[in-house]
Order: sequence, then C-alpha cells, then structure tokens
Amino acid sequence: MRCGRNRVSPTLRRLAWTFALIGSAVGPVLACEPPDLADGSGVVGRVATLDHALALRSVPSPLPLNRPFALEIALCAQNGTAMASLPKVEAWMPAHRHGMNYRPTVTSVGPGRYRAEGMLFHMPGRWEVIVEIGKDRIPVPVELR
Amino acid sequence: MWILVPFGLCLAVSSFRLQPASLVGPAAAQSVLPPTQQSGSGGGAEPAFEPDEIEAIGRLGPWPPPLTRDPSNRVSGNPDAAALGRLLFADSRLSPDGAVACTTCHDPARAFADGRPRSRARVEGRRNAPGLVDVRFNRWFGWDGGDDTLWAMSLRPILDPREIGGSIVGLAGLLRSDPRLSFEYERAFGRAPFAVSDAALAVDAAKALAAFQEALVSPRTPFDAFRDALLAGDATTAAKLPAAARRGARLFVGRGNCALCHGGPTLSHGEFADVGVPFFTAEGVDPGRHGGLKSLRDSPYTLLGPWSDDPARSTAMPTRHVEAQHRNFGEFRVPALRGVAATAPYMHDGSKATLRGVVRHYSTLDLDRLHADGETILKPLGLTEGEIDDLVAFLEALSPAP
Repeated sequence: MRCGRNRVSPTLRRLAWTFALIGSAVGPVLACEPPDLADGSGVVGRVATLDHALALRSVPSPLPLNRPFALEIALCAQNGTAMASLPKVEAWMPAHRHGMNYRPTVTSVGPGRYRAEGMLFHMPGRWEVIVEIGKDRIPVPVELR
Repeated sequence: MWILVPFGLCLAVSSFRLQPASLVGPAAAQSVLPPTQQSGSGGGAEPAFEPDEIEAIGRLGPWPPPLTRDPSNRVSGNPDAAALGRLLFADSRLSPDGAVACTTCHDPARAFADGRPRSRARVEGRRNAPGLVDVRFNRWFGWDGGDDTLWAMSLRPILDPREIGGSIVGLAGLLRSDPRLSFEYERAFGRAPFAVSDAALAVDAAKALAAFQEALVSPRTPFDAFRDALLAGDATTAAKLPAAARRGARLFVGRGNCALCHGGPTLSHGEFADVGVPFFTAEGVDPGRHGGLKSLRDSPYTLLGPWSDDPARSTAMPTRHVEAQHRNFGEFRVPALRGVAATAPYMHDGSKATLRGVVRHYSTLDLDRLHADGETILKPLGLTEGEIDDLVAFLEALSPAP
C-alpha cells in the first residue's frame, strides 16, 4: 500500500525536521553542498544523513498548491563518491496518511543532479518528500501553505 | 434569465453570469478586525478571525480565476465553436431515436444538473448528474475522472448506450446533413464537414461542446465579497455577510477540515476521496475512480492521445503521471462547491437531498464505511444544530445573491 511504502521511522522523521529547521535558521548544513542550489533560492528542503546530503528546489517556485511541479534534486554522498543509481522520489502527508496521486519520474541532468517530473501536492500542509537512494530512504520535510 | 457568456454569446439559462476575468488582485493575509456582531449559534460575541483563518479563507479565492484556453482544443475560446456547441447541446438528434439530448440530464434551468438523485437518460444511471457550471476548471471530469479534458467528457455520454446512445457515424452524419449545423461547423473550424472523416467530425463536435461549456462560469458571490474584504482589512464590507455564514466559513476552514479537500477558488482540489457514501448499487459495485482510471487508460480521447491539438502535451502531466492505487476503489471526485445550493441532490449517488443532509453526513460520519487503510482526515464532526445551520449558511453564500 502506498502509505506503507511511505512510512519512515518517527526517529528519522524527527531528525529530518530538526535538520530542516537548522538549515532554514542558520543556512546550509550540507557537507557536500551542491553549488547550483547553494544560494538557497527556491529551495524547499535540504537534509543531510550520515551517508548523503541533498537539497530540493521546486520548479516553478514558490512551490505551487494543487498544480503540477518538478523538483530539482542536488544529491551527493558524504564520502565523496559518485551516485551509482537514480534516486526514487515520492511524497506523502504523514498526518493524513495519504500520498500524492501521481508517480513522478526521475531523470539525471548532470553529476549529482536529478529532476523529478510529475509532482502535485493537492493539499496544503506538511508533506514529506521521500528520496530513496540505495538503502538510504531520506524524508525531506516540506511545508506547503 | 439571459446571461452573458464569453464571445458575446447569449444563452437562456438560470441566474449565472460571466464575470470579468480579473476582478480581484492579490491580497495579503493580515490580521484584521473582522465583524464582531452577535453570534447566533454560540450566543456570544463573534471572535476576531485569526491570521491563519484569514489566510485559509483567502485560499478560497480570488474569483473568478484567470480564464485560460485549453491547448488540447483548438477551438477553445472560439465564439463560433461555442455557438455550434450550444446548438449541439440541446439537440436530441444526437440520440438514435431523438429522445435524449445533453440537456436531458444537464438542464440549463437547473444549473445544468437535473434535480434527480440519479440521472435518467436512456436508462436510469447509478450516479447523480453533476452541474456543469465552472466545469472548465476541472482537472478530471466526471465523478470517476474517466476523462482528462472537457471535450473528451463531452463525447463520452454521446457514445454511451446508457446515456445518449449515439455513434460516431450518427454524429458525423448529423453535422453533414443539417444545413445550420454544417454552416456553423464550417464557420467554427474553417472547413466543410464533407471534407472531414467521421472520427474527426465527432471529436470536433465534442470540442465545440466543450467551447460552449467553457462559457459557464459562476458569478461572484456574497462569500467572495466577504473574502476579499477580510483580506483587505475592510471589516465593514466583511460584516455584510450574514453572521451565520461567517461562522460557517470559520468552521469550514477550521474544525470542520472541509477546506482540506474543498480548497482553492472552486472549493475543490479536484482529486478523489471516499467519504463514506456507499458505492454498492442495484446494478452492482460502482468502482468510482478505479474504473475511471481504467477508462482513461483505454480511451483514445485523452491529452496523450492522437486527438489532442497540443503537440507539446503541455497540460498532460497529470495524465502522464497519475497512479492507480488500491484506495481508488469507491473514491469519487471531490465536487466544486460554487453554486452548490442550486444543484441538489448531492453526493455521487444523489443520496443526500439537501445541503443540511450533506453536513449532517459529515457530522455523524460512520467511520466503518471508510477504507480501513484510507486517509485520516475524515472524522465525525459532532456538530451542534447551530453549527450545522452555520455551515449550510456558508454553503448557500457560495451562490449569487438573489
């Protein structure tokens, strides 16, 4: 089930929100800060785990409500190795236990750079974009008002 | 009453009028002093609207939104095509025995619905005929979202044997044989119907029907004046909305959680939900969105198909990426709410005769009827009779003032 696929451990989720809040308060926290997102313009979320760091930018920006958009993804491994595979991207609203009604497709647009087409957040509120790279399943909190 | 629609076309229908496309500018959601008149249901002074309430109410507008052309329909916004569509809409010769027209179930005198719980064209259907006012703003069309364009939705009932029961050949033959329709077709499409294949003529007829329905845009309402005044900090104008409707607006965006699904200027996010209305019918189970997605995938008449006039497929993202999910079974499209007071009965099966019945449904919602793995948005609201009155007053304020 969709909501089953989307489930991320509460601890990891709290950690993600903590990182996100720190990021928005004091600036970038990424060890492998992607240069073309470094200025923060249009960035809707950034998260670092032990293995990866990533930042997301919506196109168009600001993130639209109930309109299609794409996500530009800057992703890097903390150990400096190149990404071996395409990430998978989905999103859900944890408080409502539902996801998007659309499955995005991800393409590579450069080293460590990806574009997810086919996103649509049909409700305002707290969403989580889930970026899955290998065994690392990274929740990126995104607030849509 | 006569209404003005785009392109100078006039139509004898009920009380809908086209409004200018850009009446409302951006407004900031700031804390303002709202009306503080006496409350009917609560009995005390009405508290001020909080900034988050103003912001949420602001998201229910502005109205009307920009009117954009449908790039998949080359005659979208074309007044000549709308004139042809208006003729076709009322023409019972679309049906093989001349018994059924679009107006049979979408009566202009009934806000383009039919007032019946379940529509009856050639046979009684299993769903309520939705009104067509503001239909142009949909992402998905029909209760099951089986079509992704207004023109495809217009063709489906013509060919459905349970509805109009027509055919591609019959529709094309009508356009060629009737002098008035032939003339209007050539004026709208720039070519004679004799030079066009049956299949292309049928799609063109559907696109003309869509051009006609695009003109059905609801007028501004008392709620819109309230909403704009609230955002502008104009307490005097905001206070003109009756107190019950103001309290209903607060419930709608607040404790009622209604605006989560009924959000945006049309008061619908345009997606699908199971709201605990049974989908078992005398004819079997109505699969709702599950069946709609299957229809969409099987149809040649989609934004991704050969009949779209938009080679860039610029609006096809939802069709390209929509994902079938288990919970789609028994889900139905969340209806827009503007003008809702004129389109009783309600719900996909017409099972609620009145707006009060709808609100009461959400007040006493039976959670056992919802999908076990479904969303956690819906909970019985446990409304008082006064709160039910307030929500009904709010919903009624979404129609033009009498």
